[in-house]
Amino acid sequence: MSELFLELFSEEIPAKLQINARKEVLQIFKIFFEENEIITKGNFKVYSTPNRLVINIDKLTKEIVKKAEEIRGPNTEAPERALEGFLKSNNIQKNQIYKKKTEKGEFYFYEKPSQKIKIFDLFKKNLPNLLRKISWKKSMKWGEHDLYWGRPLKSILAVFDGKILEFNMNHLKSSNKTFLNKELEENEKLFSNFKSYNKFFKKKGIIIDQDKRKESIRNEIKKYSIKKNIKINLNERLLEEISNIVEKPKVLICEFDKRFLNIPKEILIITMQNHQKYFPTFDKKEKLTNMFLVVADIKDQKGFVKLGNERVIEARLSDAEFFWNKNRSQNLVKQVTNLKNINYFKGLGTYLDKVQRMRKLSALISDELLISKDKIEIASSICKVDLMSDLVNEFPELQGVMGGHFAQYQGFDQEISQAVTEHYLPIGTDSQIPKKPYSIALSLSDKLDSLVGFFGLGLKPTSSKDPYALRRMAISIVRLIVENDKKFKLRDLLNYSCMFYKDQGHKFDSKKIQKEISEFILDRLKNYLKEKKIRHDIIESSTSSFGLDDIVKIYKKSLYLNKNINKDFVIDVITIYKRSSNILNNEKQDVSKFVGSADPGLFKNDYEKNLYKKIQHIKSNFSNADKEDNHEEILKILSDTKIQVNEFFDNVIVNDEDEIIKKNRLELLQMLCKSFENYFNFSKIEA
Amino acid sequence: MVSKKKSKKAEIISFQDTILNLQKYWSKQGCVILQPYDLEIGAGTFHPATTLRTLGEKSWKTAYVQPSRRPTDGRYGDNPNRLQHYYQFQVLIKPSPKNIKKIYLRSLATIGINYEEHDIRFVEDDWESPTLGAAGLGWEVWCDGMEITQFTYFQKMAGIECSPISVEITYGLERLCMFTQNKKNVFDLVWNNEGILYKDIFHQSEKEFSAYNFEHANTENLFKIFDMLEQEAKSLIEKKVSLPAYDQCLKSSHVFNILDARGVISVARRAEYIARIRDLTREIGKVWLESQN
Repeated sequence: MSELFLELFSEEIPAKLQINARKEVLQIFKIFFEENEIITKGNFKVYSTPNRLVINIDKLTKEIVKKAEEIRGPNTEAPERALEGFLKSNNIQKNQIYKKKTEKGEFYFYEKPSQKIKIFDLFKKNLPNLLRKISWKKSMKWGEHDLYWGRPLKSILAVFDGKILEFNMNHLKSSNKTFLNKELEENEKLFSNFKSYNKFFKKKGIIIDQDKRKESIRNEIKKYSIKKNIKINLNERLLEEISNIVEKPKVLICEFDKRFLNIPKEILIITMQNHQKYFPTFDKKEKLTNMFLVVADIKDQKGFVKLGNERVIEARLSDAEFFWNKNRSQNLVKQVTNLKNINYFKGLGTYLDKVQRMRKLSALISDELLISKDKIEIASSICKVDLMSDLVNEFPELQGVMGGHFAQYQGFDQEISQAVTEHYLPIGTDSQIPKKPYSIALSLSDKLDSLVGFFGLGLKPTSSKDPYALRRMAISIVRLIVENDKKFKLRDLLNYSCMFYKDQGHKFDSKKIQKEISEFILDRLKNYLKEKKIRHDIIESSTSSFGLDDIVKIYKKSLYLNKNINKDFVIDVITIYKRSSNILNNEKQDVSKFVGSADPGLFKNDYEKNLYKKIQHIKSNFSNADKEDNHEEILKILSDTKIQVNEFFDNVIVNDEDEIIKKNRLELLQMLCKSFENYFNFSKIEA
Repeated sequence: MVSKKKSKKAEIISFQDTILNLQKYWSKQGCVILQPYDLEIGAGTFHPATTLRTLGEKSWKTAYVQPSRRPTDGRYGDNPNRLQHYYQFQVLIKPSPKNIKKIYLRSLATIGINYEEHDIRFVEDDWESPTLGAAGLGWEVWCDGMEITQFTYFQKMAGIECSPISVEITYGLERLCMFTQNKKNVFDLVWNNEGILYKDIFHQSEKEFSAYNFEHANTENLFKIFDMLEQEAKSLIEKKVSLPAYDQCLKSSHVFNILDARGVISVARRAEYIARIRDLTREIGKVWLESQN
């Protein structure tokens, strides 16, 4: 059994490019193996360090046998040129072909004999092209060369069973050597297989396998956690990145001055995690400590690395501290008018314009949530002021959060500062949702205002492009409403929002905007329901039964029906509805002219009367608002009509000769359907 | 303990010696040692010895110190880490040599950093300059978590694809010396071996220029000056004199930076001004390239 071993040595390739390249290489080789029917039962692995991309495939057969096959050529009647082409493309002479009749006529055929191909030759010939197929999300050129790679590629080691696979790729020539010193690109060493290569580097503390590297970091972190009695909420994304920027990880524990713990912890965490790639640590009560973990790529023999990193964090944190002390005492209210200096978006005015609109909109929302109008107006006015602070300038991801801290420091109501903190939320599908009414109101007014603005400018997203993240905004609105179980008159709010834009002199087509946004939000709601694994027909029915103001209703009914659709009483309801509505739909007359009011005076028998009575009973139940959320009870009441409906259909012929009686019976069925539709329009539900 | 401190003190390499050592080192590598460009510019990259010389096929090696002006970074001399005027040491080599990493790492030894004792990292940093219409791929070099150098392979300059590719190495001298001299405050850096500190030379200027950039600059005039410089550059581009045209472009870029620091350029107009400068650079790049053939 044979082994393929490649190493591509380059200058430091960024983590993301490495991860991507590993996946691609694997894919490229798998496809190549499939195409050539190469079989391996062994390792099929791609490893990488920042400098080394390694491919190792073992237990390969030495050669592959291509089976004999009969290749059909051109029709015997075809012009001579076609035949010449066929001979040339197969590299054969005329005496090697024969004629044969088929259903489609007579053709030339060539019996291609079975062929043995050495895998060694196959790789030697194809490797340059396979390697060039790596697409590097971002690639570059260097020197005078024309090869594109993630970062300058310096050498290619390529061996098959210890033998060099000699080939040229652009300016590079493959060999069986690589550089041991990655810094100076010196000290070449010869390797003939992966095992000895891996072992050699392991002795030097270098872990070639990224997964093992990651586990080694994880274990060292765990050790510190136990030793120092601290918690590390291991950020997997950061761990993944770090394990791809080191080759011989050594975890160091460092400290910063405890006085920095007085700065808002979000700043400390972002500085450590995002800027310096450190792991922050917490005590048993989840409070941030002044210890942090650094993953170095060297043994810190003289203590320089620890010292250096501690100095860096000190410098960064004292910078942040300076800004925190400066910004927190800058009066938020006094700064509001300065928002006129920053543009919100071209064509939508400044941030001052925006917060003025939000102020009015959130005041309207406060009525629906029964919260203080004064407080939400203050929150709206100050919520964007932090955009002008040095801290948000430094840490853009802390917009809102910093505003909340400033507000808290300046003695605003807790509800106000929390609303400012949370008003950008939710940001993604996993993001936390504001739960407090002031936060909900502020978040909702911000998002509705933005949607109306962008739709007003005609910048609604297309199927492929959504540069202003409006979809995310609409999903956030859906989540805010559904996950807080709150009813909002969204249509009114959209209408008002358009008005507030008009008050500021924007020439918006309100009707068009409202229609487009309604559809847009409902589409997002459908998606949201789809992600909750709700049946397509239920989603379609519920969103066509109810409108934008009933998002919670749509959600709850869909959820309930989806869960119980196979229960007997639900099946009964659907069957009853369908049976009745089918008769109406089969009528050649326009069904819509039936208003659903049968005249009891025209009833000819008890079946009609009984059904009528039953419908009246349902109606009286619906007027009882308490039952609105009791889906099971309502559906059971509906299913309770089963006997009356069946008796009606078994004994009454709707299609009476007397047009008046027939019409009255159709009206009765319409009445039944309408009373069902009060709960849900079952027409689109697939039985 | 005392003796250890003493020996450490003796090891300190002053700010000016750091510059001299780097110049000597890169001179040995065959670089033309230039003096700073005599205009206010934001980074060593803007020096025509980098921007323009990056274009075209001729080989070129240079190294120089460049005072860099970043009006928005001024802090009235109150902040230990930020300055509106600081020094970069810039190296540019075209085509990028095969062993450039080794040459760079060896340069660190001349200024007091033995790369084998420190955690040296090449951290992804793709560089883009909207005003120069330029882009490159490379890294920030971290030494024990501190960024000490930017290392970039230029792929595009003045909107033109580079060929061959140049490599640019930019040392932030203040940061580097804060690291090697073990100082927490930039103003405490030792400038020479005669007891002169960074603050003795630059503190007053940081204070006054911050006041100028943030408070005193006459924005009305500056807007006019920007327009005039742009006009001048355009007319020089027509006359096919790339270097004087580029000077006007650099001046307009600095005027824009001051206006930006004064906070009088809105987000929307900001993009417009950047585009105007970029358009000039692009035209100048073409004229310069023609003049090389």
